[in-house]
Amino acid sequence: MNKILKSIYMPILAVIIAIIIGSIIMLVTGFNPLAAYASLFIGAFGTLPNIANTLANAVPLIITGLGVAIAFNAGLFNIGAEGQYWIGAIVATWIGYSFKGLPWYIHIPFALIGAMVAAGLWGGIVPGFAKAYTGAHEVITTMMMSYVAIYFSHYLLEFGPMMEKGSVPQSPLIKDSAIIPTILRNTQLSYGIFIAIAAALFVYWLMYKTVWGYEMRAVGFNQRASKYAGMNVPLNIVLSLSLSGIFAGLAGAVQILGVQHRLYDSFTSGYGYTAIVVALLAKNNPIGVVFSALLFAALGTGSQYMQLNAQVPGQLADVITGLIIFFVAADKIIEVLKSMFKKQKKEELAS
Amino acid sequence: MKRLRVVLSLVLAFVLTLSLLSGCTSKTKQQSSQPNSTGQASKNKNFKVGLVTDVGGINDHSFNQLAYQGIEKAKNELGVTVNFIQSKQQTDYVTNLTQFAQQKYNLVIAVGYLMKDAVEQVSKEFPDTKFLIIDSDITDRPNVASATFKTEQCGYLVGVMAGLMEKEKNAKLNDQNVVGVIGGMQIPPVDSYIAGFQQGVKAVNPDTKVLVSYTGNFNDPASGKQMALTQISQGADIVFGVAGQAGDGVINAAKEKNIYAIGVDADQNYMAPDTVMTSALKKVDTATFDTIKSVLDNNFKSGLVYFDLANDGVGYAKPIKDVPQSIVDKVDEYAKQIKDGTIKVSDQVQK
Repeated sequence: MNKILKSIYMPILAVIIAIIIGSIIMLVTGFNPLAAYASLFIGAFGTLPNIANTLANAVPLIITGLGVAIAFNAGLFNIGAEGQYWIGAIVATWIGYSFKGLPWYIHIPFALIGAMVAAGLWGGIVPGFAKAYTGAHEVITTMMMSYVAIYFSHYLLEFGPMMEKGSVPQSPLIKDSAIIPTILRNTQLSYGIFIAIAAALFVYWLMYKTVWGYEMRAVGFNQRASKYAGMNVPLNIVLSLSLSGIFAGLAGAVQILGVQHRLYDSFTSGYGYTAIVVALLAKNNPIGVVFSALLFAALGTGSQYMQLNAQVPGQLADVITGLIIFFVAADKIIEVLKSMFKKQKKEELAS
Repeated sequence: MKRLRVVLSLVLAFVLTLSLLSGCTSKTKQQSSQPNSTGQASKNKNFKVGLVTDVGGINDHSFNQLAYQGIEKAKNELGVTVNFIQSKQQTDYVTNLTQFAQQKYNLVIAVGYLMKDAVEQVSKEFPDTKFLIIDSDITDRPNVASATFKTEQCGYLVGVMAGLMEKEKNAKLNDQNVVGVIGGMQIPPVDSYIAGFQQGVKAVNPDTKVLVSYTGNFNDPASGKQMALTQISQGADIVFGVAGQAGDGVINAAKEKNIYAIGVDADQNYMAPDTVMTSALKKVDTATFDTIKSVLDNNFKSGLVYFDLANDGVGYAKPIKDVPQSIVDKVDEYAKQIKDGTIKVSDQVQK
């Protein structure tokens, strides 16, 4: 109980400190912090459409964050989620527009599973086997595979086989039967949110309630001990990196089918990178990932609204969100501050 | 612990007081600066224009910045109320456009072809709001205008200037009679510049060799520089970069090798004052200003709206003093002939 209280209390304290420092920065630069924070909050949670957009922005972060958290739990630093996301998005888009006449209940799962398999292989086969059997560091391999995926998608879209006829480097629109419908009009919230929540529950069950999850976590704690205990370490490495890729790919697919409906060029989504911070902030707990993804999504939608209604420039809005993230993530700083106060108190008592 | 709370609450109280104070002062300032408005002025003041930039932001030295200058001009000269949001990612487009439309903005401006899908979607939901999209081709909505620029015309003029300069003698020019043009991607908005440039050079100097190459991206200055250096090694002494930020590399290469460069979209002379002899201008600022004015005067035209030499939508920047007045006069002569239709410029690149 005490532990749970502490885990909630620390992030809230961190947010308060970040808000105070942010206020000082805004005062110095001539903005009204009250108005800014009010519009940040209203932008994220103030109206039903705003809540919906916050949830919609959280969806890809939740799913990609889950993928990254699985690898982290197994002690593997998968920083290639961005590329796995792109592989998922490419495959989902391709299945989405090239198969005609399928009913939605086949087309959507087909696209989702296709994307998951492709991204799982992308993350699992090369980095997974390379790590398990040759010891090649997964930071290097996943990162490099990520570049391959991103540039491959540029090739496909810029006069490659996936480019739509016309002038703009983008894929054709996916068929209606592949579109995950929107829940609320004029927002981007699709039923993909339920996929995200189901994914979080599944990962929680997998990591904490099954032997597989236990073995993956055990390998993460101590590879040699796990091996001594009779676990198949290489298998667990390949498995966790594959699962990591599967979820990043699912995120790409859900985003294409639910929000974008086609693949655009000249963008890295950034979800794969933000997901690393999301997972770290949640201490790799699948349920925590949901909440930390929501925090990031709320800061994202809120800061756009802050630009519009409090006239705070986009860059300053980024500074404020950066501060909040910094203090939430660096909770050690708060503990140090606390212990400093405690020490002083003791000295006062002693004197 | 108690001490911490006291300190925190004191800091909070202090910040809140300060922010309240700053809120008051800024409000009074605003009121005092407002003149007593007449009927027309207050009507214009109630006319609201919203600008949604793409991820480049308003300091991108290109489209977004020019569009922003256009709305700033409208604010100063017409007295309309303007506001803008910088999108952070592609999924922000719909949200940001909707945000403006919901707040009853009269005109919402979207910068760039990447927002086409978003504008199509949002304009359907808000038929009473007018939309302007730069560089796109939406024709089937009564409330959407698509600004299209005849950039082959300004490409032609800088081509004429380059062709004539090849006949000049000065330290920066060799006698090989070669000029080069470097495109970003092989897409119509780029190719129209290149086609105009080819025709312009040939019109005044049929023997000049025009080298054409593409970087394949818009954001990597290193690749632009590499391409430019290759062309320079083949004898080019005037290079024209049509490649967004990759074009910055073209200008750098020209500066390094002490030859001339031609800027694109905006006047890029400030990047290398002795090197950039002129720039082919795509006046997004004129387009946004004119459209704001047309909506204000109830003259809004939906569908494709062309901007060319005749309505000052394209042009060339004031050349540096290395370009003799006789050449500038000649270029203006050609401009006149394009305006009155004597010269027709094609937008197809000659291979």
